[in-house]
Order: sequence, then C-alpha cells, then structure tokens
Amino acid sequence: MAVCVAIIGKDNSPKFFTALNPDEELNYQYKVLSSLDIVEEKLGVGAKSGSDLRELYLGMLYSLETHKIYGYVTNTKIKFIIIVDSTNMALRDNEIRSMFRKIHSEYADTVCNPFYIPGEPISSKPFDVNIKNIMTGTV
Amino acid sequence: MRSSVSYILSSSTSEPNMSHPDYEQYSHDHAALLVLVRHIGSQLNPNTFLKFFDRISKVSKVKITDSTGQVRSILIRYVKAYPVENNDWGDFQTHRRLLGLISLGKYDSQQELNEVCRVHESLKVKYNTTLFDSTCILFGLTKETTPEPEGSIDSTSETTLETFTTPSNFKTRALFYDETSPCVDLETQLNEFINSLFWVLESKRLERSREKLERVSLLLAPFEKKDFVGLDMESRNNKKRCTGRMTKHLGDLCLQAGLLAESLAYYTQAAETLKSVNDWLWLGAAYEGLSAASALVLYPEMQRHVPLQRNASLQEGSPRKSSQTPSISTVANRKLVANTLAPEDISKRYREAIIHYSKYQNAGIIETEASFKAARIAVEQNHALQAASFLQNVVYINLALSEQEKIQRFETLADLYTQIGFQRKAALCLRLAATRYVSPQNPAPNWSRCYTLMLQCLPGHHLSLDPVEMRASNQGWPALQIQLLQELVVAARRTGHSALATRHMTFLLQTMWPHLSPTEQKELAVQLQSLSAQCEGSPVPLVLDSGLVVPPANLTDIPICAAFTPKDLQPHLRPRRIESLKEDIGPFLFTPIHFGGGSLERKQNKENSKMDFLWVENEVCEVHLKLVNPLPFEQKVSNMRLLTAGVVFESVPETVVLPPDVPTSVTLSGWARESGELELSGYSTHALGVKSNCRLRHMPPTSNFPPFYKVEVVPSLPILQVTTSLPQSASFSNFHDDNIVTSASISLYHGESAHCTVTLTNTGQVPIEMLEVEVNSILDPCLQNQVFKWDNDEVQQQLPIQPNESITVTLYLHAVANFLAPNMPVSPSIPHEMSSGVFSSMSASLPPGSSLPSRFNSSFRSSNSGQSSIAGGLTALFQQQPTSSSIEGQLRLRYSGSAGLEADYCRICSVFFMIEMMPSLHVTNWDVLPAETSTQFYLVLDVANLTSHEMELQYTPTKTMLIEGQESCRVPIPVDRCPLSKLSGLYEEESKEFDGKSNVDVNEICSEHITDLVNLRWSVLSTDSEGVASLKGISLTSSMLDIVRMSPLDWEVKVNGGVVKAQEEVTCEAGDCLELEMSIENSLEEAINQLTLSVQFYQDYENGTTNYKMETRLAMAGAPKKTLPSLEPKVKINHECNVIFFMPGLYKLDIQCCAPESNIDSGANLVQMGHVWRFTPSISIHVL
Repeated sequence: MAVCVAIIGKDNSPKFFTALNPDEELNYQYKVLSSLDIVEEKLGVGAKSGSDLRELYLGMLYSLETHKIYGYVTNTKIKFIIIVDSTNMALRDNEIRSMFRKIHSEYADTVCNPFYIPGEPISSKPFDVNIKNIMTGTV
Repeated sequence: MRSSVSYILSSSTSEPNMSHPDYEQYSHDHAALLVLVRHIGSQLNPNTFLKFFDRISKVSKVKITDSTGQVRSILIRYVKAYPVENNDWGDFQTHRRLLGLISLGKYDSQQELNEVCRVHESLKVKYNTTLFDSTCILFGLTKETTPEPEGSIDSTSETTLETFTTPSNFKTRALFYDETSPCVDLETQLNEFINSLFWVLESKRLERSREKLERVSLLLAPFEKKDFVGLDMESRNNKKRCTGRMTKHLGDLCLQAGLLAESLAYYTQAAETLKSVNDWLWLGAAYEGLSAASALVLYPEMQRHVPLQRNASLQEGSPRKSSQTPSISTVANRKLVANTLAPEDISKRYREAIIHYSKYQNAGIIETEASFKAARIAVEQNHALQAASFLQNVVYINLALSEQEKIQRFETLADLYTQIGFQRKAALCLRLAATRYVSPQNPAPNWSRCYTLMLQCLPGHHLSLDPVEMRASNQGWPALQIQLLQELVVAARRTGHSALATRHMTFLLQTMWPHLSPTEQKELAVQLQSLSAQCEGSPVPLVLDSGLVVPPANLTDIPICAAFTPKDLQPHLRPRRIESLKEDIGPFLFTPIHFGGGSLERKQNKENSKMDFLWVENEVCEVHLKLVNPLPFEQKVSNMRLLTAGVVFESVPETVVLPPDVPTSVTLSGWARESGELELSGYSTHALGVKSNCRLRHMPPTSNFPPFYKVEVVPSLPILQVTTSLPQSASFSNFHDDNIVTSASISLYHGESAHCTVTLTNTGQVPIEMLEVEVNSILDPCLQNQVFKWDNDEVQQQLPIQPNESITVTLYLHAVANFLAPNMPVSPSIPHEMSSGVFSSMSASLPPGSSLPSRFNSSFRSSNSGQSSIAGGLTALFQQQPTSSSIEGQLRLRYSGSAGLEADYCRICSVFFMIEMMPSLHVTNWDVLPAETSTQFYLVLDVANLTSHEMELQYTPTKTMLIEGQESCRVPIPVDRCPLSKLSGLYEEESKEFDGKSNVDVNEICSEHITDLVNLRWSVLSTDSEGVASLKGISLTSSMLDIVRMSPLDWEVKVNGGVVKAQEEVTCEAGDCLELEMSIENSLEEAINQLTLSVQFYQDYENGTTNYKMETRLAMAGAPKKTLPSLEPKVKINHECNVIFFMPGLYKLDIQCCAPESNIDSGANLVQMGHVWRFTPSISIHVL
C-alpha cells in the first residue's frame, strides 16, 4: 500500500511524517516537499474557479518512475500527502480516497486532544500506529 | 505523457545522434535565422567581444520588404557556439541550420590579420553545408585619425589598411572598425547582412515551393538514414511520406521567411499527410511547427528573458508572469491568420508532438527541447501545472549527455520552475545540479559552482542565511534543511572558503539545534571544531565575491544558557536614595488618568524588563549565568564577556570548562564606566573555535528571556569598611539585616558601662562627604539612647574621609536594667495586677477612719515598676529571662560622597551589636522609714547580689558594704524627703488638666526623687567590673509617699506639753490623763477645704490584727474629730484633747487629716480628694 504519509500544516511546514522504510524517509521528504508546489498551484487555481469546496481530494499530484504522489487538502489548508509505489497497480483511486478520509478523521481525533497544541508537530504514538495501520491497509 | 511504447520504434544507438541539446530554445526560434557570432584570434578582449555581441543581439528583428511589397518580419537568433552535428538536423527542422556567420577579430599586424582571416575561412568551411553568408568584423590598430563616419566600408578599410590587406583568398566581406570608436554604421551593416541572408532564404523557399511535390526526394532526420535503405521508395505510402515531409519543410521555410499564414497552412497539411502514413517523428515535428507558428501569432511579444546575473540578486517570491490578456492586436492577428491554433490547443499539440518524439530514442534531444519550448509557452499562458508537467517530462528523458549538459538541464529546469513559482521544485533541481557539479562521474568537479547553486536553493527550502530571520519564521522541513546545510558546508569547505564553511556550520548549529538528534549534535559540533581550526568563526558579516552578504551566525545553544540574571550589589553596597521630602502627588493614591502617555511609559518599562536595582559606576557589576553543555564531551568556553549597550561598559573575559550535561554557574563581571542606563543584551562566547555574540533577543523562545535587561548605573559612591574594637558575635540572631557588615558582642553586668571604638575606613575611590550614624533596635527610643551613646558632632567633624583614610567613632554602651525585683509581691493580699495599678486611688477608696489594711502591705513591699513606661520593655525582657538577657542593636551608617551624593544616592552599612546583660544586683524589697529628722527618711533596701562573686556595694558616699555572691543584705539609706517645691511645681502645671492622674504623677515624682538621690555603686572585685544600679521605677504606696514627700501639712504634736519625736515612746500610767496638743499648718500655697482632723487610738497585737474598739480601755475628753471648713495657707490650727487609759498596755495613737472626696468643686483639687494625711510615725503610748 502506501509507503509514506505526510501531514503538512498550512504554513507548509511538516506536522507529521512517516515512512514504512525509515531509511527512505529523507528521499520521501524531498518528494513530498516538491509536490507541495503542485498542491499550492492547484489550490490557487481552485480558488479562482470556485470549485466544489467539499471536494478535498486533489488526485495524483505527479508520478515518478517509482512512486506516485497523491494529495488531499482539508478546508483549513492542512495537506495530506500519500506516496504510493507505482508498481502497485492494484491500488485504485477510490482506495486512495478512502485512505485519505481515514487519515483525515484520525487527524481530527488527534487535534481534538486538548493536550495537543495546534500548529505543533504531532508526536502522538497512537496516531503514528494508526497511520501506519492505514498505510499498510490493516484497518 | 511518455508513451509506454517508447524506444519500440527507435533504431540502434550507433546512429549519428544530435548530442548537444539547446535548452535555451523558444518556440519562436523556429522562425529565426540562426547566426553564429564567433570570437576569433587571440587579440580581441573577451569583454569587448561580449559588448559587441550584446550590441549585435539587439538586432533580433528586421523588417524586410519583399518583392511583392509585403513587409516581412524576420527574426534572428544569435549564438556564440553551435555544434556542427546539430546542423545535420537542418532538414528536420530548418531553424537548426546555421545560416549566417559573423566573426569578430582583432589584429595589429599583417600576419595576425592573415591568421584571423584564415580562421574565419575555416569556420566557413565547417558550416559550409548550410551557411548562406558570412561577415567578418575586424578591429585594427587604434589610430589618431578616426575614420569618417559617413565613409563607406571601402573608404574605411582603405584608410586603416594602408599597410595591411586581407589575403587574396579571403572572400568575405570584412568590416574594419576601430575598437574604441562608436561604430555607428554597425547596425546598418548588420541589416544589410541579414537582408542578404533573407534573400538567399527566400530564393531557396521559392525554389522548394516550385518543386513538384510528387517528385521530391525523401527528407531524413540524421538517424533515419539507415532505416530506409532498401525500402521501396516508389510505394504509395512512401510517396506520401515524401510529400508530407516536404510540406512540413516548406512550412519551416515559410515560418523563417516571415510568412506565418503560409507556414500554418503547410504545417496543417503536412500533419494530415504524415498522420495517414504513421510517420510519427515528422508528425511530431509538424505539430511542433504548427504550435510554434501559432504561438508566434498569439504571443508575438514572448521574449527570451535577459539572462540576469543570478548571483547578484536572487529575487524573492514568484516571478510568475502576470496573466496577460491577449491584446486586441493579437486577437486580430488570430482572426487574420487561418489555421492558427487556439491557446489551449498549442499545449495539446505540443504534448502530442512530445509523445511522438518519445517513440524514438534518438530524438531524445528534440523531445527535451520541445518540452522546454512547450513549458515556456505554458509559462507565457500562465498555466503553471501544464508547464510543470512538461518540465517533469524532461527528467524522464534518458539521454547520454555529458555531465555539463545534465547540469545545464537542471539549471534550466530550475529557472523555469522558478518562473512558474515552484520554488521547492526549483530548489530541488538546483540542488541536483549542484551535486552533479561535484559528482564522482564528473571529470572536472567545480566546487565553487556547486556552492553557488547550493546557495540559490536555500530560499526554496525556506532557509535564509540570516539566523534572526530563521528564528522569526520557523518553518520549513528541518530534515531537508539540515541536509542542505551540511552539503553547503562541504561545498564551502571544498571551494576553499573555510570562513564560509565555519559560518554555515555555525548557522546550522544555531538554527537547527532543536531538530538535531543528540548524536547529530555531537557530530556536527566536532565537525565545527575541525572547521574552525582552519578558520576561526567570528560574528562579522562575510561578503562573497558575488556581493552576497552572509550575516553572522552565533552558537546560542552551545553552551545552552539556562539562566541570565543580573545580580544586585551586596546589600551594604547597594545605593539608596537619600530620602527627600516626598513630592506632593495629591490626595489620590491611584489615578486612572495618565498625562502625556504615562501609562504607555509604564508598560514599556515592564517590557523592557528594567531591573529594580542599581549599579554603581566604576564598581564591579555581576551577571550570573547558568550554562549547560549539551555535548557529551567536556567543552571549554573562553573569552565570555557581556554584551551591553548604553553606557560604556568594561567586561572581564571569563573562561569556563563545562562538563557535559551538568549546569554550571558562571559569573560575568565588569565595570560600568559611566552613569546612566545600561542595557545588557547578552553575552559573547568563544566555543568550538567560533566567536559568538549570543543576544538574548535571539535566544530560542523557549528560554523566555526578555530582549534585554536594563540596569540603571548611578555615579560612583565611596565604600566604607567598618571594624570594631569588640570581638565579633558568634551568631546573628533573628533580627537580621542584609546591610550588616560586621558584628560586635560584649557582656555587661547590669549597670555596667563600656565603650567600643568603631573604625571607619574609606576603601572606595571617592571621599565620603556625608555620614549619618544611628542605632536601630527593638528597644524604646529613650531606652535605646541610654544603652547606646555616641557623639555625633565628633563624627561630623572628622568628615570628609578621603579614600584609604579612616576615622574612629566611639560608641558608649551601658547595660540599663531594672534593679527592682520583679514578680515578688510579698503580701498575698494584694493581687499582682494591683501592683501595677494606682496605689493612691486604692487607699482613697478606703473610707476614712476605717481600718487600713494597707498599712501592712506597705510595711515591706516590692512591686513591679509598672508605672515606669521607660522600663517596660526591659521588664518584659526580664520576665522572660530573669537570669541574663541580651540586647541586639544595629549601628547604622549612611554615607555618601562625590558624584553619588550629588545624585542623591548613599549607601547603608550597619554593625550588629549584641550586648549580653547579666544581672548584677537586685533590690528585692524596699520600704521607707521615717528618719529622726523630718527632712529625711530612710530608704531600706534588700539588695541581692546576683553574681557569683563578691560584690562591694557603695550605697552612700561614705558607706560601703561587701555582699557575698548570691546573697542579699539589707541597707538603710538616708534620703532627703521629696520637697514640696517639686510637687507643687507639678501641681501647678497639671492643675488645669486631668485630676485623676495627678496622684500617679506624685508617685512618679517621688520615685524620680529617690532615683536621683540614690545610686548604688557596685563593683565586682574579681572581674574588675563596676557599675551603678539605679532605683528607677521604684514604686511607692501612698503611705510610703506620705513619708517620702514633705507633708503639705506641718504637724506638731505635743503630749503633755512635750513635743513627740519619732520613734519615741510615751510612757504613762493607767489613769493618767494625757494631754494631746496638735497643730497643723498648711504649707501649700492654697487653702485646703473640708479638712477633717481625727484622733484615734488602737492596739496593735503585732500579729496582724489591730483593735480599734477602745471604748472600754480609754476615754477621751475633747473632740476626737474636728472638721475644718478651710485651711488657708500658712495658717496654723490647733486642736487639743485629753485621754485617760483605763488599762495598761501598748496603745497607739493615729492622728490623721482627711480631706473628703465630695468637695471636688472646691478649688483645692491640687490636693488629692479623699486623701488622708497621717502623722507619722504613729505615736506609741506605753501604759503601765
């Protein structure tokens, strides 16, 4: 399933980053960072056209030789990025969508924690475990 | 976008390949005539060449009127180098053909001229296949006579080439110029040159267009040559292919020749033809041509942006083009020119073209270039996402390129990403380009280029070289930022900029510290140490050759500052305000109204964190730091100083060695050299070989430091050192003052005196001009004045004290004590609390004539001297500690001098005095007895020696007595009675005031009278101490008072005509008649009213009972009572009576005068109402 999930705050600084393979993390960070350009562009265009506000899924941001990068933006401009192995052909758009929705609800739960300071990087361990589960598709 | 069937159709790679991509191409270049401008020969200055190249480049658009009178707009593209291989693709896309050649050279001899001409000719040969025309610009020797401006080329060449001529085989048009001259006709010459190119091109185009399309030969891309070997060229398919390709070729030519409409038509036609024969490569080319032509129609103004000097100024933000609405003219153009693609179709066609190209491996460069061109159009159209997808495609194209070209590719990508505002992507590309410069594959690593590119990708990672800015906008991706910075450090080091490497590493440690893991922190710190060994870091901005300024970075986290507290001076050195009268601030303590922004000021002060203490000029000021070394090894921090602003401050450098992970306290000190406001903004360190200025305002926000501390520095003040002649006390007690500098302790017996010499030395720099001495204690002020005495005038006379001089002050100490035994009421009949009450009122309450129990009580009473308010404090002290007690006091010295005094500041220091007071003697009981003379009385005291030593007591000037330790003895002291003058004076004073108090005062006066007259001088022989015990506070009952004071009534009693003397007994027999004669004289100044004189006999059984019932034992003749309405002053009244005793025995006669209480209204309130005066001592009559 997904190899990397990133949550990025509205100021485009990372709030949460996890990768199945920790050695690859830096590489994924580069990928996610450069995909932010496209997210920003899409958001800018979207605002102009006044598209459906309820559609948070941005679709595939771009695909690389080895990976595909998908994006999702909440209404508060929190960005979720998923990196998927391109060799994984079984993964459909709908599954990506549902993965994003699960991450979103997981994120909402974590932010609801009164001990979480908004804007701080998320360091909750259960959150990390849950996201990992979502990535591997065990949930 | 990339087709999955890529490479399927591609042929073997051994084919000639276009290997030099031109990333700078625009789609407009399809319409341009390619002209090579070359620098030949070694004489010409490269800068001059560039100057001329720029000038030539300006002639990029020429309008030429063709044979039909139509104005053609011809574009020209100038390049400095052009690989011949690319020329081979001229058939595929004609704009790749090099059409013109301009060479620039300089000569100063015939030989060199020949050489330059030769090079030019060889260049001509090189591009022989495509070259239409060439020209050679030659710069001759600088001559005095400048050529005539209007002179033709020939004339110019003639004047300058009188000696030098071009070789005969030189067939090129040569333009001779003077390097320094304005070369006014250069543009005209260029125009002419381009005209010639155009006309050749136009003729070629016409030639081509006249060819029969069915007959044309097959045009080939360079790598296709093998593919068609042996194919049937006559097949219908191939015929079509030939036609299609030729049509496309014509389109290219038309486009170059400025015939947009025609070219569009050709391209459209070609595309249709080629599509039908599946000639993908050429179809792609046709689409590209179509798009290029359309773009030329739609966006004629699309310009190659001037390659600005990148290093000079990196623009922040997105240089994205503003969305241009197509101007009316372009819309009009579009309508005019048929077959023009709609803007959105251009991208679509380009996309298709790229897909078609991608099917051929050998067309990789064509594809790359097409992608760039398409991206540039997308940029022009402001379609960032489209541009991004075109650019993304470039990365996938696998080309066998040289490293240099790969780098160029990334740089161009970065440039375009920047144009569409994709800062992060641009940064990524720049970083890749930078790493390519130094990759192991690169045969010629260029670290300095790598460093420059690394610097350029900082903004894309939200990095700024200014640590302050970084702190402010703490965002971005720390992991990536750390990696980038590390690479930057390596690049800087390899470039040879040790200073920069140190700076960047310092920056990395400063800004990324919280994001680093402990091991990373350690590693980086070690790296920094080794870097700084080559070049020490210092907090000054570095300026690069490119003009970029690298602001200073500071190690704020190595060591971590956990606390920064400016320290107040030691209490006794603190400057205090010399109290001045408080300004009248009106009746309101608080007012919500603030005038002139006072409230703002107050708020500001809070923010400024002004310290509420003062420092003194030229004296050591201290700041306490708590430092933590976060690194796992010991670290030496040297040269730590305070950073200050405001007044001049001299800081003392400190060096500390910090063990790992243990907070270490460091004190930084210095001197303020001026008075005024001092701002403490941080500290400087020299750690890990880097000098840092750690300012509080740049500290991590978690440490919660204010931006700076403000301390007021007051002008210099003297310093006083105090010593005493007494030994220091072992401990300070509960009452403790910070100002205490020294202490003194002494033991004194009650009543003993001692003196203490206090030496004051001025150890400061300025003289002491003001000195105030005072004593503080918990004692009552007047008691305190008895204990501590000094001569203030003596002190003031010794002022001023110059620096390093000293004066002495003598302090006299006296152990004041109450020598009257407390808590020992002899008679149980008088409650203890009564003893502190008013005695006379008690006796007054007794009805006159009734029995007087108080007589017994008065016989030997002792009493707490409750009336004495003076001794009250001491008494309380004694009650707690009857054996010994101590008094604590402070000698407080307020001093100031010089500038500090002028500024109203002083210092306070105090000496702690501890006086242990040991009991010496005690008067346990006392009584008064009438003396033989009426002017005196005997004060009988029971004196107890409370010491354990033998004591000599001198109780009168002539009489002494020895008392053993812990023993007591009784001494009679003859004392003059208290004269009425003392009392009357009091009466007169107080007559108009409160009546009830007057008796107390009488008591007091009498007590004082005794105190004044009686001094018990004692000396303890063994300890050689001596002192005086006073009877201060002795209390007297009213009966005692009567003895002590002179009676207001002068008594004269005669028995049987003889005057009765005190202590004398009258003897008579039973049955004898005794004649009693008494006279009273008022010795007061006023009359006494309602006086009752009474005579009474009684028997005292000496066992505590008295018998007043004398009716059966005696008989009196005459009135036992006599009422006197008024006794005028100095008037004597007589009274006589007789008495007969019936039985023998011991009788006593009590004669008393009683003034009733009722006559208050009379003027005689001077004398106590209801008071009883007795004739004392009572007369004893022994009846035989």
